[in-house]
Amino acid sequence: MNLFDFFTDPVLRAPTWGTLLMCIASSLMGVLLFLKKRTLLAESLSHATYPGVVIGVSLFALLFPHHEEKSFIAVLLGAFLSSLAALKAIEWLQSKGKVSSDAALCFILSLFFGAGIVASSAMQSSLPTWHKQIQMLLFGQAATMTDLHIALYGSLAFAISLFLALLFRPLQGALFDRDYAASTGIRVALLERIVFWLLLLSIIVGIRSVGVVLISGMVIAPAVAARQWTDQLKPMFFFAAFFGCLSGLVGNILSVQGSIFLSTETEKMILPTGPMIVLVGAAIALLSLLFAPKRGLLFRLFRIGAFHLRCLEENLLKGIWKKGPLTFENLRQTFRIPPFPLYFALQRLLREGWLMRDQKTYSLTLDGSQKASSIVRLHRLWELYLAETLKLQVEKVHKTAEEMEHILTPDIEERLTRLLSNPKQDPHQQPIPQRPQPL
Amino acid sequence: MSPYWGANFFEFFYILIVRIAHWNFSTLATDEVQIGVLGAVAVSCALLGPFLVLKRMAMFANSLSHTILLGIAGAVLLLGGTAMFDLSHLLLGALIAAIATAFFTEGLIKVFRLQEDASIGLVFTSLFALGIVLVTLYTRDLHLGIESVMGNADALMPSDLRLAATLMLINGCAIFLFFRHFQLASFDKSLAQTLGLRGGLFHFLLLFLAAATCIGAFRAVGVLLVLAFLVGPYLTARLFCHRLKYLLLWSALLGIGASLFGVALARHLLSVYDLPLSTGGIVACSIGLFYLIALAIRKIYLFTLARRCAIVNGA
Repeated sequence: MNLFDFFTDPVLRAPTWGTLLMCIASSLMGVLLFLKKRTLLAESLSHATYPGVVIGVSLFALLFPHHEEKSFIAVLLGAFLSSLAALKAIEWLQSKGKVSSDAALCFILSLFFGAGIVASSAMQSSLPTWHKQIQMLLFGQAATMTDLHIALYGSLAFAISLFLALLFRPLQGALFDRDYAASTGIRVALLERIVFWLLLLSIIVGIRSVGVVLISGMVIAPAVAARQWTDQLKPMFFFAAFFGCLSGLVGNILSVQGSIFLSTETEKMILPTGPMIVLVGAAIALLSLLFAPKRGLLFRLFRIGAFHLRCLEENLLKGIWKKGPLTFENLRQTFRIPPFPLYFALQRLLREGWLMRDQKTYSLTLDGSQKASSIVRLHRLWELYLAETLKLQVEKVHKTAEEMEHILTPDIEERLTRLLSNPKQDPHQQPIPQRPQPL
Repeated sequence: MSPYWGANFFEFFYILIVRIAHWNFSTLATDEVQIGVLGAVAVSCALLGPFLVLKRMAMFANSLSHTILLGIAGAVLLLGGTAMFDLSHLLLGALIAAIATAFFTEGLIKVFRLQEDASIGLVFTSLFALGIVLVTLYTRDLHLGIESVMGNADALMPSDLRLAATLMLINGCAIFLFFRHFQLASFDKSLAQTLGLRGGLFHFLLLFLAAATCIGAFRAVGVLLVLAFLVGPYLTARLFCHRLKYLLLWSALLGIGASLFGVALARHLLSVYDLPLSTGGIVACSIGLFYLIALAIRKIYLFTLARRCAIVNGA
């Protein structure tokens, strides 16, 4: 079985396409929730779909007992209504009941799920075959989807994407600056209501494959991953959709192959689709958190390390500038740092042409001496600025200047010089080196 | 044969009172075990819930209640055996769950600089998914995953009662000993720090106790309904009571009340309408019902108060 079969095989293609489309819908809405910092809303609303699903399917079973294959209509409708009720209840608790948002989410989640469990237990005894279908929705089961499902869920996912594309401009405005957006004539309240409806829609679309219990994972994980790769809204939607698709696809394949692998002749094992999809999504999010450029942990650590190295180098230049040529041992004792980073920094300085080595002593080149004096200049300018303009005590200025000397830009230096009218001495009566003349 | 067989709502309480009066508990009926376990869970939750809500950690409790599945799986792997009933499994599982949840969530927030809500959501969904997959693979039983979210109060045994009671005792002792500390840590963090309180320690103790309570409630009500016990009675009590000590007391009473009411209602529905319903679900719904009743009483009270004021002012 190759990858292509998953898209074309008459039995396998429905689950594959189905999960892909569902995961797109929930990931897209996840971006909005993530930026609003309300991702846990998805957790409450998804659990709140359960009683609606159970009651909807029960009613359907009583009214149309012979149309079992069409019961997903009842699932969608019931889920939508009950999660809408939950949304209203949460809003009411927060505004009128003065309950903090986390407690409101938690309370409504457990109450609705409790009601769902009661309804489901009633169904278990009276409609046992239908009850099995409902239980499947808890953790999702993509394997039993048909082409009819793809058509329906696909068009819902498409509708959600289309809405987002059409409403992108006003949505962006409302998301980042609500008041400004309102002042430009965007009907923010209406827009927010539409967004919430789309959110409910994306959740109920997702529960078929990921399940009531874990769909919130598919709302959160792609958005978390997408945020790592971009700083802009539009690319973030695309990234989230891509990661959502990827986790849906891989999770579904893992679940299908895993079930085949685990099943023996005698007993059939089914690995539920939802947990696998969520695990893949979480893995993608974790990898993005680690390795994404700019925001990933690895690159951040690298940047921090590079900055520390630069500080060390500049401090070394300054030290040699003040004390004259020093040996490796002298430097080690003066700066109290382990030999390896010291050696590394010295090698870099030698390569850059700021230091030269004469047998065992390191001394400054002409370039190095200029660089060092400009650092000392920044240090002393800042000290003077703190003491003169900000009226800090002279004893306290050294420490901040020690940090600022690595950060100040030539532009700030220029302004400081003008502000302090090109001073000659710092507050400790040390001369301030003049700006080096270009050779 | 259960002594409650065929009893309706009121007969249920009558039989219960008679049996208590005669102290005739040589064989515990299922209903009594249920009342005992649910009541003990309710008290455990009532002792912790207010602090969790005050510290705005309700959704973190939600997260914990999901990750305990991984904790249980870990405890079973470490200690061996499949029994989830004994105390050492429970405490080890709770420890694993609390440490894993706190460690990963804090790690995402502090090291990866991820916003809080997304960190909580990402951690518990992925750990829960992992727990489900592990449990499914280990036991080769798909039904366990479903039972873990639904709970099964009807399969409780007297051994569960002992466990729930032990847990209640542990929670009770912890809250009794450290009431001031918890109170201070949940109302005024900076004052607690000034006074030299080990905030982190008590925070973790609270997490650990919450995880242990969730595991204790796991078999009876599943991972989700325990949240109703944690949050519901406190929110209800808060409508008419504003002192922390009394809030704890009222939450416990409301929780026990809901358990009694729920079990009796489940029996009533079974006897009269021949409808076997999930007892845990009914108790959760009763907690919601109690909240609504308290809300209605409060509304009426405020309304009459306002009218009386208007009359006094008018005259």
